[in-house]
Amino acid sequence: MKNVKKTWKIADIGVFLKNSLVAILKGEFLLRLNVGRYFIHIAYTFFLFALVIWISLMIDNTQSKVEKNKRTLQELEIVHSQKTYEIVSLSRRSTVNAMLQEMGSNVQEAQQPATRLVE
Amino acid sequence: MSENSGIFKNRERISIILYTLYIVLLMASLLLILRIIGIQLFFRPDEKIKDALTPAVVAKTIDPARGNIIDCEGRLLALTTPTYQIYMDCTVLKEEIETRMNNKIARAKDDPVKISEAKKEAETREAEWLGKARMLSAELAKTFPGKSPEYYYKLIRDGRANNRKYVKIGTPIDRNTRNEVMEFPLFRDGRYKSGLIFEQDYVRKYPYGKLARRTIGFVRNNKSDVGNTHIGLEGKFDHILHGTNGREYLRETDHGRMRDNDSAFVKAVDGKDLRTTLNIDYQDLADKALREQIEAEDDLEGACLVLMEVGTGAIRAMVNLVRDNAGSGSWEEIQNIAIGRKCEPGSVFKTVTLMSVLNDGFVKSLEETLPAGSGHVEGTTINDPHIPDFVRNHGGVREISIIDGFKISSNYVFATLAVKNYGKHGKKDETKRFLQNIYTYKLGEAYDFDLDGMLTPTIPSPESRYWTNTDLGSIGFGYSTEETPMHILTFYNAIANKGRMMKPYLVEDIEEHGLVVDKRGPSVLNAAICSKAVADTITRALKAVTEEGTAKRLKNAKCTVAGKTGTSFGTFENGQYSDASGRKKYQGTFVGFFPAEDPQYSVICAVYSKPTGKQFQGGGIPARAIKTLIDGLYNIDPYFQPTLNKAK
Repeated sequence: MKNVKKTWKIADIGVFLKNSLVAILKGEFLLRLNVGRYFIHIAYTFFLFALVIWISLMIDNTQSKVEKNKRTLQELEIVHSQKTYEIVSLSRRSTVNAMLQEMGSNVQEAQQPATRLVE
Repeated sequence: MSENSGIFKNRERISIILYTLYIVLLMASLLLILRIIGIQLFFRPDEKIKDALTPAVVAKTIDPARGNIIDCEGRLLALTTPTYQIYMDCTVLKEEIETRMNNKIARAKDDPVKISEAKKEAETREAEWLGKARMLSAELAKTFPGKSPEYYYKLIRDGRANNRKYVKIGTPIDRNTRNEVMEFPLFRDGRYKSGLIFEQDYVRKYPYGKLARRTIGFVRNNKSDVGNTHIGLEGKFDHILHGTNGREYLRETDHGRMRDNDSAFVKAVDGKDLRTTLNIDYQDLADKALREQIEAEDDLEGACLVLMEVGTGAIRAMVNLVRDNAGSGSWEEIQNIAIGRKCEPGSVFKTVTLMSVLNDGFVKSLEETLPAGSGHVEGTTINDPHIPDFVRNHGGVREISIIDGFKISSNYVFATLAVKNYGKHGKKDETKRFLQNIYTYKLGEAYDFDLDGMLTPTIPSPESRYWTNTDLGSIGFGYSTEETPMHILTFYNAIANKGRMMKPYLVEDIEEHGLVVDKRGPSVLNAAICSKAVADTITRALKAVTEEGTAKRLKNAKCTVAGKTGTSFGTFENGQYSDASGRKKYQGTFVGFFPAEDPQYSVICAVYSKPTGKQFQGGGIPARAIKTLIDGLYNIDPYFQPTLNKAK
């Protein structure tokens, strides 16, 4: 048998593309490539791609919730700081005295030190 | 056979279904691939659409939350809250009303009735909007007093006429007021119908108002045309309170703007909290006590009162009041007199001379005497007119003891002690020794303090060409030197602390989320400026001043007080202590500590007058203010609380 060396021609690309297309249409592309035994890996890869896309969408969704919660938290912090400011402002000793006087209360500043109970 | 053919048929059917499904999916994927190629290589969108839909990534600086300033018991002295500035887009709905009218007119095709209806509708809607704006103006005038409803209505109406989209309304408001404003007529219709815009900004708030405002301080932004932008604790510790800015990149998504995780993100580090030594209750008492005394005195221009804890040097209250002559003339915390104003201290400096002669062994007992005659200090031009009075009042005695001299605050006695013991006598000259003692008592240097602006005292030097033969004597009774109230208080605090001089401080520690990250606390300036015996001797002399001397006003305070009064005069441009019409600028001081037998607090009060014919002695306003403070503090300070055994 003669050992004939195969030479490539441009037309071979056309033949290759045609054969590939026919193989794709017949659903035999992977079999023709002889990678049938890796089919599970290829399917797994595609599964991972889909998973990545799905996770990305989930991340976006979560992030939007994070941003929304951040805004809510910021609002609450503002309310908290405002309320704190108002309450602390009222706790000034002379303010309390003035308010008591306004209300006609008999409560006054201590006139003598409080007695401390010890064990 | 028929069974087999059935299986084959079934398989064939499944194959056809799968094959069809495969072809459909294949076509779909092919379509997708072609579409992707088309979009990537050939699609050229309209620029406007591209701009609108391309998710722009914008960089944003994340501002850290500024740390709080709290008092020694954890009460908030300074915190950050948001404020809101109202702006208004006065053109809102205007364009829509006009467009709607124009469209109707165009559709009316010269039908005068329809044109008239269209115009009337536009006018009605405009009138309705302006009507609401009028109601809004009435509410705005209530919220921002000082401007009439007509003013606000004109502002809005003119803004609408001139197509102004950013009209400032009123002054910044807090969150509660913002919520109320949002319920005002027109504004309650929402942003797109009223043109309401809120600009949020964070500002520093001080819940205790003017209390310790100068000590707490503030930070102005760099745009301010005032040179000193960092004042008080806020300024000095700005690098700790401010925190570190962060940076993030935001992208537009269907869910709004959110952080772009593909870009760098630098987290902002919030500022840390500052726990001060101030006790806001004591500050309130001190502020009230001082204001009560000075409020009615038109001739006073400034006053300060500082309360310090003896054992630690912690400043519990620091009041600095200056008459705001540029403004309303009221008393404001606009200058830190306690550390930033130095004057000749007057008689409170006699204690320095006393300590010096006791320390150096020139005087062994307070009962030692000096000749009492004309009051002239030998070798100087100093004359003390109080000595002849003393002689007269004491049956013509020929001698005066040091403690009596201290009680009546005799310049003669202390000038004599300085000149006699440290002056030049033949070849012997101990002047430098005396001055060195003053430096040892830390009365000649500006030590490190928690606030910027502490002045360095002025102590004259015999090597200076301005030194005269009266200088040593006058230093002996508190002239020719300049000291800040804080320096004097630190010295007296050391006497109360049995010679151990503590450094005054204002910052207890630096905290983060309630945990101490940097403990500062007390530190010692001089471990022993005098022996315990000398401190006890001086305390006895100081107690005599409040019991029988120039500060008798404090005798009936709720606890025993030891202290010294001092009165000095500011110099005029002519170099004299009085102007042409005989008016003087007084500095009246009282400094001391209490309770005298077991000192817990030291205190100083100084008042400064304008040129006046009235007298402002240390035993007057300062002593009265301190008595009020001590009486108030006695009732609330745990040290003074008596104990009762529960078991009994």
